[in-house]
Amino acid sequence: MTLVQTVSSRASARGVTTAGRRRSRLARRRALAAYLFITPALIFFAVLFFYPLIAEFITSLHTGAKSTQFVGLKNFTKALRDPSARHAFYVTLEYAGGVLVVSTLLGLLLATILNQRLLGRVIFRGVLLVPYLTSIAITGLLWRNILDPQVGLLNRLFVDLGWPQQTWLNDHPLAVIIGITAWQETGYITLLFLAGMQGVPEVFYEAARVDGASVWQRFRHITFPSLAPTTLFVSVVGVISSLQQFALPYIVTKGGPADATDLYVFQTFQTAFTFRDFGYASALSYLLLIVILCFSVIQLRVGRRYGAA
Amino acid sequence: MTQDQARPASSGVPDDAQISRRRFIQLGGAVAAGLGIPLLSSCTSTGSINSGSGASSTTGSAASSAAAAPRSSAAGGGATSGGSFTWYTSNNHVYDTWKNIISKFEQDHNVSVNWQKMPFTDMQTKLQADFAAGTVPDLVEYTTGDATMQFVVTGDVMALDDYIAKDGEAMGYPDDWQTQAVKSWQHDGKTYGVQLQLTAQQLYYNKKMLSDAGISAPPQTWDDFLAAAQKLTSKNVYGVALNADYSYSEPWVLQTNAQLYDPTGKQFLTPRANAQEALQFLQDLVHKYKVSPTPPTGSDFTTSRQLFIANRAAMIITGPWDIKPIRTGNPNLDFGVSLPLKKDKTATIFAGSGAFIPSKSKRPDLAWDLIKRLTALDAELALTKEAGQTMPRKTWASNAQVTSDPLVSGLAAALQYADDWGGTLASTGKLAQVNKAYQTAFEDIVLSGNSVASALQTFDKSAQAALGS
Repeated sequence: MTLVQTVSSRASARGVTTAGRRRSRLARRRALAAYLFITPALIFFAVLFFYPLIAEFITSLHTGAKSTQFVGLKNFTKALRDPSARHAFYVTLEYAGGVLVVSTLLGLLLATILNQRLLGRVIFRGVLLVPYLTSIAITGLLWRNILDPQVGLLNRLFVDLGWPQQTWLNDHPLAVIIGITAWQETGYITLLFLAGMQGVPEVFYEAARVDGASVWQRFRHITFPSLAPTTLFVSVVGVISSLQQFALPYIVTKGGPADATDLYVFQTFQTAFTFRDFGYASALSYLLLIVILCFSVIQLRVGRRYGAA
Repeated sequence: MTQDQARPASSGVPDDAQISRRRFIQLGGAVAAGLGIPLLSSCTSTGSINSGSGASSTTGSAASSAAAAPRSSAAGGGATSGGSFTWYTSNNHVYDTWKNIISKFEQDHNVSVNWQKMPFTDMQTKLQADFAAGTVPDLVEYTTGDATMQFVVTGDVMALDDYIAKDGEAMGYPDDWQTQAVKSWQHDGKTYGVQLQLTAQQLYYNKKMLSDAGISAPPQTWDDFLAAAQKLTSKNVYGVALNADYSYSEPWVLQTNAQLYDPTGKQFLTPRANAQEALQFLQDLVHKYKVSPTPPTGSDFTTSRQLFIANRAAMIITGPWDIKPIRTGNPNLDFGVSLPLKKDKTATIFAGSGAFIPSKSKRPDLAWDLIKRLTALDAELALTKEAGQTMPRKTWASNAQVTSDPLVSGLAAALQYADDWGGTLASTGKLAQVNKAYQTAFEDIVLSGNSVASALQTFDKSAQAALGS
């Protein structure tokens, strides 16, 4: 190596080092800028999300009306043995399963219909969203007033028509709650499926038609598999929201009759605000969080296996 | 292309256009401050709702000493206080009489009253949150002493004994109050609230319907009641409309000489055979004799009243709180009241409402002054005239305005048969859990028509677990 080459290579190395330092400073500056920009969001989440989560966990380790007595994990073990909590959990699973099946099937059916070239389908799509956009309190009161066996609109109609009066709220309360939820959510799910269907390339259907595939075969082998990501999204979001349902039983049935619609979150609410046991209620909430996380992971893994995620 | 070349292009921000570090820090600090300060201040703003009440800022533990030594000026009602005063009442208790009292109270104390109205069930939730947060109202109108005991045992309610020692004689407390109305607000020898209204459930009947059916007098016993209900039931008209609210079944249990809890034997709904008989009778009214519609699940206590107003039910068991709505809903309805029914004894439960002062009330003296105004005999008589409400004062019951009115005197007569439901259970702080278990059993039996014995077995387990936990 000549002197010139040596000097040149040293200068080059110095240049690289200097450029590296400059890049490093630039990277740090950018990182700092990024941190500054996300600081407001971090403060927001810290105050309104992480702090309550931690505080709730600490509360779950205590008992008493003011959550002052430390009991360790006893609230969690109590929840696993508590027949009321178990009952509420099973009722909630039934509810979540019912809502998922009914609203998904109805949504799929309506989306298939609305995917055809029908007169007034734009208006119908808009109308379908109205229940979803309506407040759940209004929805609950509306259906309560329709279905009330004594003073409800439906039974007035049945009386006028000479039909026997319905007592569905008393006889099939969980089915009623499932039905109301499905009524509210089906429009939204329909639109999700519709969007998914419109993303399926028309050429697939043309090829299938050329091959002589029937309508059912085209749906079974083209449409339905193409909707796998949408179905996964609908099922994950649907199960999470169903497991967290509170307002409808609170407004429509108050958990009755005889705890038939005592959904898990409703019971957690009662534990906290009627029985004044915030520690146990916090433990119940945490257990629900774990269950929801498990359900979501399972659903995502199943979806991934079948190429939906 | 190197990363250095690619980054500005992809980010769209050339190096020379980048902001300096100092500028970033300034900008970020400003954004954080802009968002953070309102956020943090919003966290504390709830705590300052009553901060305007600086003139009488007795807080926290000082509230207890305030109760021990009430300040004479405010308690006398003549002080100029300023600021605001918060009190909660039932949304069904927005009376003109009380509006006038509040108006005078505001003038006398130069305060602005923040009168918050809500159903008692929602008030329970709100109070829990208030007590947890430490931002409490100055005065609360709540259902009964029994229900209030859950807050008493946790130290959230102020003992009123020092106020009573000072003003009790002048206002006639406790001597002029019905005994049970005083007892239900006491715990460990101290008094934690004053009964504002004292009501009892009894039979309300449609006079015309009974007369048309050839029933000359309202039923007094269960047998008479069933016979009358069967006679009155026809197409789309029921002899009776039972209530979906479980608390309306309590008088029936008491009429069999049963009680919710026997502290000596630690037994619930005892004697069991009697309590079972009461609940079986209610179930039979609905499912066997079909003289009552099935009470709808999830409905509030107003459904049976609505049927009564619409002439679709000839009899209901209710209390004076329904008089005003009945008169408003159907001014032509001619109805009467009779004594509570009798099985083994004539009995009913008492209800109504009372007032308590939270321990952390910022203005306990003003609260006490308002209690005195609300419970004055004139105020009680005015409320009876306005809404037909019955009152806890003995001098109210003997007043000519009450004795000369057949309806009101009939209501007052029921008070002597009234007993409380929770008994000693209230002071354990577990009454809410036991009542929830009882509600489940009641709904299982009366709404769903299931086996009484089986429902009570489940009730026993839940109630014992609640008490043991």
